[in-house]
Amino acid sequence: MTYQSQRVAYPYFVVALLLFVAQLLLGLFLAFSYFFTVPQAIVDVFPFATARAIHTNLLVLWMLLGFMGATFYMVPEETGRELAWPRLAIFQLVLLVGTGVAAIVGFLFGWTQGRPLLEIPRPLDLLVVAGALMFLANVAATMWKARRFTATQGSLLAGLLFLALLYLFGIPFYRNLATDWYYWWWVIHLWVEGAWELVTAALVAFMLIQLTGVDRRVVERWLYVELGLFLFTGIAGTGHHYYWLGAPRYWLWIGGVFSALEPIPIVLMLVDTFRAERVGGRKLEPRLTWTFMIGMAVLHLVGAGVFGLAHTLPQINYYTHGSQVTVAHGHLAFFGAYALVNLTFFYFAMPRLKGLPGGRFTERRGQFGFWTASLAVLGMSLAFAVAGVLQSYLERVRGEPYIVSQGPIRFWMAVVFAHGLLVLLGVSVIAWDLLTLKPAPAESGPA
Amino acid sequence: MTEGQSKAVFWIGTLTSAALFLGLTYDTQREFDRLTHADALDEQVVAGKRAFEARNCNDCHTILGFGGYYAPDLTRAYVRIGADGIRRRLEHPEQAFRDSYRKMPQQRLGEAEIADLVHFLRWVDGIENNDWPPQDSQRRWKRSTERLLAGGLLSPGAALLKQESCLGCHALGDGGERVGPRLEWIGGKRDAAWIAGLLQEPERLQPGTPMPAFGHLSEAQRRTIGETVVSLAAQGRMP
Repeated sequence: MTYQSQRVAYPYFVVALLLFVAQLLLGLFLAFSYFFTVPQAIVDVFPFATARAIHTNLLVLWMLLGFMGATFYMVPEETGRELAWPRLAIFQLVLLVGTGVAAIVGFLFGWTQGRPLLEIPRPLDLLVVAGALMFLANVAATMWKARRFTATQGSLLAGLLFLALLYLFGIPFYRNLATDWYYWWWVIHLWVEGAWELVTAALVAFMLIQLTGVDRRVVERWLYVELGLFLFTGIAGTGHHYYWLGAPRYWLWIGGVFSALEPIPIVLMLVDTFRAERVGGRKLEPRLTWTFMIGMAVLHLVGAGVFGLAHTLPQINYYTHGSQVTVAHGHLAFFGAYALVNLTFFYFAMPRLKGLPGGRFTERRGQFGFWTASLAVLGMSLAFAVAGVLQSYLERVRGEPYIVSQGPIRFWMAVVFAHGLLVLLGVSVIAWDLLTLKPAPAESGPA
Repeated sequence: MTEGQSKAVFWIGTLTSAALFLGLTYDTQREFDRLTHADALDEQVVAGKRAFEARNCNDCHTILGFGGYYAPDLTRAYVRIGADGIRRRLEHPEQAFRDSYRKMPQQRLGEAEIADLVHFLRWVDGIENNDWPPQDSQRRWKRSTERLLAGGLLSPGAALLKQESCLGCHALGDGGERVGPRLEWIGGKRDAAWIAGLLQEPERLQPGTPMPAFGHLSEAQRRTIGETVVSLAAQGRMP
């Protein structure tokens, strides 16, 4: 850490970690509801729908706060100057967390926009927009005042701007259900396969430059190519959500062809990460940051690339759309791509924020947390996938009633629940470790 | 690869994809009215959509395949369980799902709200979405109906359906009119005895129905029609 204002990242990371743990608790309740008969009296006051709204909104909130904290950490070092308005950054955190808490309490009392993932009521949306504007202004002003622009910064700022703009498409009330879902995906898909990719690519490029000492020009050349391919496949690839919502038939072609190409940039990213690790010519420390970064690249590929490709073609998606197959993909892709990039960055930035010598720390707890959480999410996604294939076959192929298809799934949801407990354990250890990092033993290296 | 080349990859990739996507969005926007039958999208459909959102239905149910996966997809709920079926579940979920291992919350909906929701789901049912979901696909109905009609000459039930001009009001497969409910749908909901009773004295079972009585048929003939209609159900009877 070189600049004082980078410190504002710390409270962002703390809040993000706590919300992540809370998200997992709700997830356990959801899995539980699938194999255990929740009594009517409880369903009446706390239905599955409310729990799901909280689970997904916590996901979005903690990841965005993580990105914002990471941005505030990274921008001063990239631009070579202090943040324009550090106190605004803190105010923005208070505003956004306050909005999030208000939204969640509102959900409990039935105050909702009622659209999956975009349940935050419209009046609170305005506060979210206000928070986003503060954030963008702060970042842009810092870059502007510094007059030092890099491709990494460009990717970051473009991603954040794109992210904020797309959110606006989720705010209006749409009379037509098909139009509603059409633009709903502009928020959801273009976030995760567009804007968020830009942001994470920038964060990863920044960490690679800092950790490996690889020439910035090399890293940024890769960055351009990766982002070009991400956006080329990702933007038109939105079409894979438009097969069955009442849009014209050509989307079957557009969605199928473009999303078949989507794994290519992810493979490229994996190769790039390995290459940077090899040619950096520096002893790569701390090991744990690398474990996380490689883990992210691998699970990003498995979750988003492989699990995504498995059901993205219209011929298959006709039978799997809206089943637990989607859930399997969703969980592994979000964890691999976005939970791990956040955690990687936290492990990169936290020791520096705490002023640990050389950014090094004792890694045992973190290693345990990483392996427990990652393997458990992988196992959980496989259990979801089995449930999804069963459901697709029984309900979609055989034409059995929905409830008949849910019977055999109950066992697999119990398996999901068991893995969920392990995810909670792993993530809790990671959160506890990050909040109480201990310096590495003195003999193992210079300060 | 030089820096210029990698920048070119970025800009060409991003801009071609964005141009294609925005162009097709423009076209899709024009096509939506036709594909979703926007002429039938009246204020009551909109009211139903608002109720659907206010009650957060979509975080348990999927619709058009999107949403929670905890409860059945609603895209074709109207044709699958009918207006009565939807109403019964909305009014008294605690009874409708008393024996189920999965419950639906009792949200104390008003009568008008229920009517709006039924109307909304009826409109959703008409969206032309490439015949998804497969379990409610017209093609699946047609296959089972075609099988039945192929044996029509041997089936006294099919002969009676024809003789009594049932298809003058009811749809069956590709044919028939749409004054009354589709026969496959009735078959999925009712048993043969009920249908036979309805044919004898429709007023008694469904007061106010426009369905005429078929008292001139024998008890056995009415029963045969009932059994035939039940056999039309493509997916067996609904629980």
